[in-house]
Amino acid sequence: MNTSDKVRPGQPAYSGQFRLIETLLNRPAMLTLGIIAAAFLAGTLFLAVSGYNPRHMYTSIIRSILGVDPDRIGNASGNAFNARYIGEWLTVSIPLILTGLSMAFALKTGLWNIGAEGQYTVGVLTATLTAFFFPPVPVLHSFACVLFAVLAGGIWGGLIGWFKARFQISEVVGTIMMNYIALFLLRIFVRLIPGTNTYRTPDFPATALLQAPWLKALTNRSELSYGLFWAILAVLFYFIIQEKTGFGLSLRITGHNQDGARYAGLPVRRHITMSMFIAGTFAGLAGAVVALGSFRYGRLLGAMDNYGFTGITVALVGQGATMATVWAGLLFGALQSAQGSMQQKGIPAEIVQIMIGLVVIFIAFQSGMRLLLEKRKQTLKQRQHSGLEVSDPKSG
Amino acid sequence: MYIKIRFPMLLTLLMLVSLVMFACNKKEADVDVVPDSEEVQVTVRLGTDASGVDDKSFNASAWRGITRFYGDTPENPLKQGSHYDYIISNNTDKYVSNLRLMSEGGYSLVIVTGFTWADALSQVAPDYPQQKFMIVDVAGLPNDAKNIMEVIYAEEQGAFLAGVAAALQAKEVGAEPKFGFIGGIPGAVITHFQVGYMQGILTISPDAEILDYYANDWADPAKAKIQAEAWFDSGVYAIFSAAGSTGNGAIQVAKESRQRGRDVWAIGVDSDQYGEGLYEEGKSAILTSMIKRVDAATELALMNVRDETFQAEVVRLDLANSGVGLPENNPNLSDAILAEVKDYEQKVINGEIVVDNTVAAFISAGHLGEGLTILARDD
Repeated sequence: MNTSDKVRPGQPAYSGQFRLIETLLNRPAMLTLGIIAAAFLAGTLFLAVSGYNPRHMYTSIIRSILGVDPDRIGNASGNAFNARYIGEWLTVSIPLILTGLSMAFALKTGLWNIGAEGQYTVGVLTATLTAFFFPPVPVLHSFACVLFAVLAGGIWGGLIGWFKARFQISEVVGTIMMNYIALFLLRIFVRLIPGTNTYRTPDFPATALLQAPWLKALTNRSELSYGLFWAILAVLFYFIIQEKTGFGLSLRITGHNQDGARYAGLPVRRHITMSMFIAGTFAGLAGAVVALGSFRYGRLLGAMDNYGFTGITVALVGQGATMATVWAGLLFGALQSAQGSMQQKGIPAEIVQIMIGLVVIFIAFQSGMRLLLEKRKQTLKQRQHSGLEVSDPKSG
Repeated sequence: MYIKIRFPMLLTLLMLVSLVMFACNKKEADVDVVPDSEEVQVTVRLGTDASGVDDKSFNASAWRGITRFYGDTPENPLKQGSHYDYIISNNTDKYVSNLRLMSEGGYSLVIVTGFTWADALSQVAPDYPQQKFMIVDVAGLPNDAKNIMEVIYAEEQGAFLAGVAAALQAKEVGAEPKFGFIGGIPGAVITHFQVGYMQGILTISPDAEILDYYANDWADPAKAKIQAEAWFDSGVYAIFSAAGSTGNGAIQVAKESRQRGRDVWAIGVDSDQYGEGLYEEGKSAILTSMIKRVDAATELALMNVRDETFQAEVVRLDLANSGVGLPENNPNLSDAILAEVKDYEQKVINGEIVVDNTVAAFISAGHLGEGLTILARDD
């Protein structure tokens, strides 16, 4: 019965595996790292079991983060360092971080924004249209493209937020549906741009592009663009709103307990709409960055780009904290940008999808663990009430 | 509930795990490439879209040609990883970076297929003047560095033979000479198909009636199905579709019609679609197929690299070099018809018959009837 000393008032004491679960749940950072490590371990095992050399997966990932190919160190025939890999890594990570922040922002208000993909697509569409129909004034043109894309993404998300607030329509279903509407709207409107064929528009006017020749030169011709700075701004914006303002606090209160928030006089409906709007702006920005940073022409998308969906995983790993989301985006970006190198070294690229999928599954376990703990708590409480045992009998 | 995950932590973790892996795999030596004794060592990488080399279409065909060059088969790619391999790009925004990756890998040749790669290739190729590239089905890229081989096809010649075969078959069974053509999205390449097909039919049956329909979609079989049903009901004998998977709708209707005992046919495109037309044991509704051999292109490019005769220019594959044509086996065509088709093939190869590939040339040859949608276009 020695555990009863440590019990906080009102909290039953757990024992055995339940204590382990509680310990893990109380240290989310460690738990998340553990989840990632477990996913890597599982990926490594998959590769080893199917006869591949897992080492190549790790060297590929290291290569895409550091630009150094461990296999070529000390090899006279080739340069071990290539800055292009770092540039490509950041290029892939930027939309993942932004869509991750999109999902995370809504989640703080207790909303599941599964629609980052659609908001991203609307961002791509708006950036593409603005690129063609806005006067080609240097600097201003690309600013306008980004700004309109951000607004469009916001409206796309805010609309669902308003539906949710006004009519109690599930934002999960709503945002998923809006993903498809966005994709097909893009297909309709991009076709209207003169000179568009079955998969692309004519070249964008140069003034609309986000491409940064000096960044390209710095990273040995990678696709890194001014999107980098837009992303940094977005991260700062997220950080300040969520962690430094009263508005962010009241959004979180709304997310925590809507009835409580309403009772405290907070405008819950407006918060829900605003939260989804702001969430959408991040995804819209991601769309603009990809459309004008990585391409010189508009695309008639045949399928979704999937940044929004991977962003969901990024947000789940980051759990709403600003920097954690950024790190998670960089991690998944490293995995995705390493796919080319992996294939070059004979590792199937699908392993990355498998590992990202495993992360989601393991994170879902977390909720299961929480449920288990809750159930245990009820059992212990019942026992307490019936006067049988004060603490867990197994703990002695 | 704020958590602080620091990236250095992640990185350290990653490195720790990788360190373990390094330790585990010390014994494994790098894959050593042993060149065949006399052959010059040629290496190649194929860049594909998200569908990989199992798309049963362009990529699969390109892959087949590559494996054949090395004496392998797609089912048993022994030298994959050392001599040849492919790299999948899951997203169009990876095309450029993966092309650069391949270009920096020191391979003799880098191959991509289809027009979706055209922009990425024209962006990357000038940066690697020493790297040889090959692209299938695209012509006219800026090629200042003289390092891109562009392979295109004389589709009209293959389609001509398909038209000849269809018309001969109708003649043999005494059917009314009425034929249909289904196109995907209108464009110059599809025009090659249609014009060649029509010329083939009219060469055999000058008073044949030809109908055409454009689905404006590469992937909508339902549209082709509705059109094919209407056409077969109105007495059309055979339908040739050059419309991607849209054309599968016409094949489907031909299968169903044949099952009900009607003598109508579909003609396959791009690869031998005989198997897709099977409706009963050993019976296919595919009369023949007009084949575009992407494998011939990849094999040719590899041979050119090996023989140091690589041509950084547009190469047109036609009947003469087996780039287009009918399948080797045509179970639905009689020997007499096959012999006659062979004659026409020879005539096209030696220039006796010139197959048109534009509407303008076709009209000026005095061929075109009325009511065809293709008349409204100028490509």
